[in-house]
Order: sequence, then C-alpha cells, then structure tokens
Amino acid sequence: MRAGLLWLPLFVVPLVLHNDVVLTILVFTFILGILAVSFNLIFGYTGQLSMFHAAAFGIAAYATHLSMAHLGVSFWVGMAIAVVVVTAISLVVGTICFRFKLKEFYFAIVTLAFSEMVRLIILNWSSFTNGSLGINLTDKPTVWLPGETIVIEGTQMWYYLSLVALVVTVFVCTRVVHSWMGRCFAAIRLNDELADTLGIDVFRYKLVSFLIGNAGAAVAGALYAFYLSYIEPDYLAVDQSLAIVAMVLLGGRDTVAGPVIGAFILTALPHVINFSAESRIFVYGLILIFTILVMPKGITGAFARRSRVL
Amino acid sequence: MLQLFVGQLLNGVIVGTLYGIIALGVTLTFGITGIVNFALGAFMAIGAYTSWYLTDVVGIAYPVAVPLAVLVVAVFGLLADQTLFRFTRNNLINGLIVSIGLISVIQSVLLMLWTTTPKNMHYILPGVLNLDLFIVPKMKGVVFLVLLAVILATYAALTRTWAGRAAYAFAQAPEAAKLMGVRTGFLQTGVVVYSTALAGLGGALYASLYSLEVSMGSSYILKGFEAAILAGIGTVMGSLMGGIVLGVTEAVGSIFFPQAYRDAYGLVFLVLILLFRPSGLFVRTR
Amino acid sequence: MFAAATLATCFGIAPAKAQDVVKIGEIEAQTGALNTYGWMSSQGMRMAVEEINKAGGFEVAGKKYKLQLLNPDTQGNPQQALIELKGMLEQDHAKYVFGPFLTNIYKGIEPYATGFDGKFLLIGGATAIHFDLGKAQHGYLMRSWNWDAGPSGFGSLMVANLKQRGAKKVAMLMQNDAFGHVARDIYAPLFQKEGIQFDEEWFEPGTTDFSSVLAKIAAGKPDYLFPGYSDAVLYDIVRQATEVGLTKIWLVRGSLGPGLKNKDALDEYIIYIPKYFEEAQNTEPKVKKFIADYKAFYKTDFPYDQAPLCSSSCYDHVFMLVEAMQKAGSVDDVAKVKQALMSITYKGLWETRYDETGEEVINFDVVDIKKGGNIEVSHFTPK
Repeated sequence: MRAGLLWLPLFVVPLVLHNDVVLTILVFTFILGILAVSFNLIFGYTGQLSMFHAAAFGIAAYATHLSMAHLGVSFWVGMAIAVVVVTAISLVVGTICFRFKLKEFYFAIVTLAFSEMVRLIILNWSSFTNGSLGINLTDKPTVWLPGETIVIEGTQMWYYLSLVALVVTVFVCTRVVHSWMGRCFAAIRLNDELADTLGIDVFRYKLVSFLIGNAGAAVAGALYAFYLSYIEPDYLAVDQSLAIVAMVLLGGRDTVAGPVIGAFILTALPHVINFSAESRIFVYGLILIFTILVMPKGITGAFARRSRVL
Repeated sequence: MLQLFVGQLLNGVIVGTLYGIIALGVTLTFGITGIVNFALGAFMAIGAYTSWYLTDVVGIAYPVAVPLAVLVVAVFGLLADQTLFRFTRNNLINGLIVSIGLISVIQSVLLMLWTTTPKNMHYILPGVLNLDLFIVPKMKGVVFLVLLAVILATYAALTRTWAGRAAYAFAQAPEAAKLMGVRTGFLQTGVVVYSTALAGLGGALYASLYSLEVSMGSSYILKGFEAAILAGIGTVMGSLMGGIVLGVTEAVGSIFFPQAYRDAYGLVFLVLILLFRPSGLFVRTR
Repeated sequence: MFAAATLATCFGIAPAKAQDVVKIGEIEAQTGALNTYGWMSSQGMRMAVEEINKAGGFEVAGKKYKLQLLNPDTQGNPQQALIELKGMLEQDHAKYVFGPFLTNIYKGIEPYATGFDGKFLLIGGATAIHFDLGKAQHGYLMRSWNWDAGPSGFGSLMVANLKQRGAKKVAMLMQNDAFGHVARDIYAPLFQKEGIQFDEEWFEPGTTDFSSVLAKIAAGKPDYLFPGYSDAVLYDIVRQATEVGLTKIWLVRGSLGPGLKNKDALDEYIIYIPKYFEEAQNTEPKVKKFIADYKAFYKTDFPYDQAPLCSSSCYDHVFMLVEAMQKAGSVDDVAKVKQALMSITYKGLWETRYDETGEEVINFDVVDIKKGGNIEVSHFTPK
C-alpha cells in the first residue's frame, strides 16, 4: 500500500497548476492509462498479445452514446451497458480463440482480424453509427449528490473523474493480480502447457483475463468518448492497438501501474518534441525498438531495485 | 456476367501473386527462423521508392533499376538483421514489436526524403492485351510472370540445393541442424535478408503499376500474413497459392459485394482457417 | 512529478510579447494519409507570414506589428488537435486560427472551440464547417473554401454542363470516408435533378488496385466516371479505368496530373480546379510572382498539382486577414475584424470574399483535357 501514497500528489495538481493544456494532457493520460493498465492484465500478466483492445475501446464508446441516445439512460447506465456489450462480444471472441488453443502470434493476428471486422461494420453501418462522419456527443455525465446535480464538464472536473477511475482500475487490477486468479495468470504466461498439466483450467483463466481486461477498455472508451465529445471508427484502428502496446512496453509490464507512465509519455510526447512531424514518427519507432532491446522491463523495470516474484 | 467473372478470376490470380511474394517472405522468416517480421511491408516500400527514384529521377532503365533496388533493400535488410533482429531470435513477441517500431522508422525516413506527395513512375509498358474474355494490362502481365518465376526459383533452391535443405532442417530441429554443421547464424541472417529482398522485389515491381505512398506496405503485409497462414507456414508453393486464393476472392467478391468490404474477405478467411484448419490449406497435417 | 514540471516549463512560461506580435495559428494535418490539403496550406501560410514580416510587418491604428505563425501538426488525430488548439488559445492567446481542412479534426475540436465563441476566429476548409455556419454560438466560425452546391458553387454548374454533353449515366467511385459521403449527398440530388442516372461504389481509403470494381462499373456502361477526391487515388483510378475502357472522367476534386498522364488513353477529363496554374502563370502577374517566390523560398520545384489547394487557408488568407485588421483598426477586436473580413473582396492569387454566412466565394476554373492532351480552360467568377 506504500505505492498507493504515490497517487496522492496527483489529486493536488489541479489546485496548484492552472495550466489547462497540461491538465488536458493528464486527463487523456489517465483515461488512456486505464486502457493500458487493463491491457497489461492480458498482455503483461497472462502473456497474451491481444489486438482486440482498441476494438473494445471503440465499441464501448459507440455503445455508451447509442444507448444514451436511443434508450434515454444516463451516462453511468450507458457505460454499464457498454461494459456488458463489450464483455459479451469478448466472450464470443475469447471463446473462439482460446477454445481452439491459438498460440501467441496467431492469437494476435486473429484478434486483429476480429478487431478490423468490427471496425468495418461500424464504418459501414452508417444508418446506426453515422459511419466515417463520426458522431459529436453533446451529452455529459452527471453526478447526483443530495441536493444538487453536478454536470461533469471542463478540464478540472474531468481530471478528478478520470483520476478516480484510474485509481479504481489500478486497485481492482492489483487485487486480481495478487489473488489466486493472478497466480494462474502468471503460470499461464510462463508456460501454458505446463500450467495445464498442473491442473489449471487454462481456457477459463485466459478467458477471464481477456474479459476483465476488455471491460477495463470499455470503461476507458466511455470516458474518452465523452471527454473528446467525438467518436469515429478510427477509435478501433490498428494504430490504436499498437499505441496501447507501446504504452505498456514503455511503461513496464511487470507492474500494474507501470503502463500509466507509458501512457503519459506517449500522450505528451507530440506536444513536447516540437520538431518536424516526420521526426516524431521516427522517434516513436525508435522508442519501440529501444525499449524492447535495451529496456525490456520498461521504465519502471529499469528503476526497480529487485524483480518481482510474479 | 460470365465475362466479368472470368476476367476477375484471372485478375485475382495476378494481384494474388503480389500478395504471394510477400507471403513467401513471411513464411520463410517465420517458418525457418521463428521470428515475425511485420516490417516486410516497409521494406516493400523501400524497394518501390528506390526503383521509382532510379528510374524516374536518375534515369536508369527500369529492368536495371529493379535488381538494383532489390540489392538496396537487401542491404537494409542485412542492417536490420544485424542491429535488431539478431537480438530477438526466437522471442516472437519481441521480434514482432521491434519490427513494428522499424516500420515507423523506415516510413519516417521515406517521408523525410520524399514527402507525402504520391509518386508515379512513367509508364513502362502501357497498353493492354485484349484476350477475348479478359483484358490484361501488359505491365501487369509482366509483373505476374516475373513474380511467378522468382517464386518457382525459390522453391527450386529450397528443395534442390544444399543451403535450401539446410534451411528446412533448421526449421524442423534447430539443435540438430547445428550439430550437423549447419551455420545457423548465417542461415537465419540469410533468410531474413532474402525475405526482405523478396519484399523489395515486390515493391520494385509494384512501382510500375501503382502510385507510391509511404504507407503502401501496410495493407500488403497484412494480406501477406493472411495468405501465408491461409496456406500454412513453411510451404513455398503454398504461399503462392494462398496469395492467389486471397486475390481471387477479393476480385470476385467485389463483383457481388460492395467494394468497401474488400479487405474483410482476407480477415474472415484468416479466422476460419486458424480455427478449423490451423496448419493451413496446403500443408499436409501430420 | 518531475515530468509534470518539465512539461510545465515547456509550455507555460513563454514571455508574452503581445505588444508587437500578432499570433496566428494553423491547425492542419501536415503528415498522415489525408494531409494533402494541410500540407499546401502550411506551405502557403509560411510564405505569407515571412513575406509580411520581411517587409517590416504591418501597421494597424498607428502601431507596427509582425506575425508569428504557430503551426503544429495534428497528424489527422482529433485528440492531438484538441490539445494543440488549447495551447494556441489558452497559452499563446492566438485570436486567429486557420484550418482544419479535415472533417474529423473539426468535429473533435468543435465542442471546445464553441466554448471560445467571441474570443477567436476559426477559418477552415472542412466540409463539416459548412453545416455549422450561422448556428448559435458559432460566430467564431468561417469557412475558407467554396461550397459545391451553393448559388456561387461550381457543382450545379458542372452537372448542368455534363447534361449538355449528353450524359445519361454517371458512376461514382468514392472513398468511404467523411468527405466521400458528403460528396455523394451533395451530388446525388444534383444529378437526379438533371435526370442523369447516378450509380455509386465505395472503396476503403488506402486501396490501390481498383481493377475489379472498375470492371464491374464498366459492365454497367456509364457515360462518365466520377472518381474519388485525392490525387493519391486518382492516379491509380484513372490509369486503371482507361485499361477497362472507361475513358471519360469527370471530377470535382484532385489535380490535372492523372488526366495528363493518361491523355492518350482518355477521351475526356473534366475537372474543377480552383486555378489552372500552368496557364495562370503566363496571364496573371501575381501568380507568376508567387511561383517564383515559392521556388526561392523552398528551393524546390513548384508543386503545380497541389497549388490549387492554396485556395483555402493558405497564402491570400493571411494578407486578407491583415487587411481586415487594418480596416477594423484593431488586432484583437475579433468581432470587428470578422466584420471587416466579410466586407472585403481581396484580389490576390484569387478574388476572394465571404458570403453572408461566412463561407468563401472564389473564382475558379473548369479544365477539360481532350484526347491527346488539348486543354480547354473555362474561367468562372461567381457573382
């Protein structure tokens, strides 16, 4: 729980720093951090490279808005519906993949294929999703307190909302990782065939980690969509999935919260490095290569004194 | 309708060979060295831009520019292998991610050199051949024949030469191969370089048919993988067949279904094959 | 935490020299798949700013000013654009922002920009901007390109012209993206009105092999092919269209390049071009000067293909803004400057003015390339 104290200063930041640009970057960092941390559950802890994460992210964005628009529910109910929808789809995709015992690389390609298929559906089902034009969202999340209704808008409120959501996500993931489930995940990551012989139901635990991870992505999707106030099919693009992988690698896949650092760097980087756009792409590629070859444990790994047992 | 159908069948075969050459690169690298080189699409782009540059800017005759371009790509492939892939041998995920990073590096360099304005080579062999049922652009026909020849040559090399058989041996039992005196380090490097050269050739020929953009390789690498997995990793003629199956499906599918779904066929195939016949269509299951 | 501090230094503490510098922002995609428009805008704006500053700046209400251009690259990403716009408006206090041309970028920044209504002007070429002009709280918005279907637009004119040439059936092959759908929504009714049959086929951006869909279109024997909008695909579509026997092309976006390259195989290539630079460089002194300046400034060849895109948020628009500020007598009274902008007709490379909704009206050309390469140019100046 010592590590938990590191989060406290973040709550104070908006009171001290009144720079909207920096706060906006942090809001995006937190939301994308949820995305990255949940991905790490599947990738870093269970060892499965899923390329479906961006799809979960995008599906939730659309599902939240569409349920609010067609069913008239509030943001939170919409988000819950989105999580249910994403979980259901992930159940199908995950069952297909894991039942057939697809190995690492093949799993990545099949999840990529499913992700692209969903993207194409959303892109072409214009009557329902407005296709490539995307949808501008005008609704805002509201919080009910006794006596008043607070509408969440503006950078400061979003800052706290997303920070709380991130902390909750990290907390949940930490509990999962330290539980019996988490130990199964680790066993599967190290050698899934061996885990099988040890009596661990590999299929079930792979599926569970996939579902929990995608549920996290769904939450991130709902938040991101309503913060940016615009959704488009590109939410599900391959580039987005790759960006998530990069965040996790950069931040470090050995810890639950490590990916948040990766999310921060990749979100802030384009705004800090001010030279030509081509050089930025160049640097981005170098980061991916560099972290794998030189810093495989990511930034948090490089700073950690001793490696964790799990 | 028949004319359209047959025409597209043949068109699909031709387009499919371009997928096939990339699939061959994929299958060789993955099958023999176990690493996945997503950057093959970017190497294809290097080959395409180099051949365009040599032909249109420097003024070398196209038939000479193509082998030169392939050579250039092979050199870069060697460079990539020695500085990067050498350290990720047999760590599939790491190799995958490194190659993705390499794509960004290559694309940004191409951008810095040549910007996003699409490049168009002057027409090498304009005009079409009008066979009754089907119109084939002359240059497309030439590309088809060249790619076919290279794939057949690769097949011959792998099955009949010592180096080829060593490669197969290595693919099946790396330790044993090493014990038998196969220079495994050279072999792995050789395969990586050869597959980038294949991609470079595909790119150099692509440049005579289509306009060039820095991101041109990304759809080809995806389709190359789809074709390779469709056919089954490790089989040379299979990757050609896989490419053709994919090309034909897309071409014929476009007649009946919206063109917008063209990229989906490959994806659906991929999923179905991996679920129901993971070793691929053209590989004998043990 | 140290990371946040570094970030703050990078962003927060630029000394405000608001006295003698007017900051103008540009929010375009300079790289990425759909960057063609953004690239040319960026090229033109940099030249204009340099030229004005080199001449000593400009004078408004007795004070001398220079321009400072802020032009980050959005890379076509709405999240990035939003952060960049925030920086421009809140940190740099820019009051005039040019761009975006991309609809998805515009939609990503629009909610935030609307919160700044009255405090700045956003002058962009995006198609989606057209639909928001004149709406409540959108006084900040202006559109820097002409509209196909309006009374001063070129779309209706060109479709009517096509009817005169005897066209009965037109097949459209368009990118399956935001602008592609808007294009269809604009042109389908126009064709219907003229009684021309209109078929549509869509493709994914990034496609380069169109042979199958073109063969399918050719089987339907249309009179004209109406293909997608950017050169990246046009070169391929036109070449492959001629290979299947579709030799009459009609388009409302793109450049002459694909037509010229295939001139021996095509029968007709009719295209709307904001300006046919190859001819204008001989007949219009300002164009000639612009071309010479461009070559000297960038030390490269002049991009004839991309140059017509400088009709939006590019070169003329900077000078026009300066003139508007001078007429309004202020560099930061946004309402006055907008009023001034809407009252000026600026004669630069184009003759530019804004209509009552804030949408640009410019003169344009329609170019007809006949078989063998003969070029007929028609010039139009909207009333």
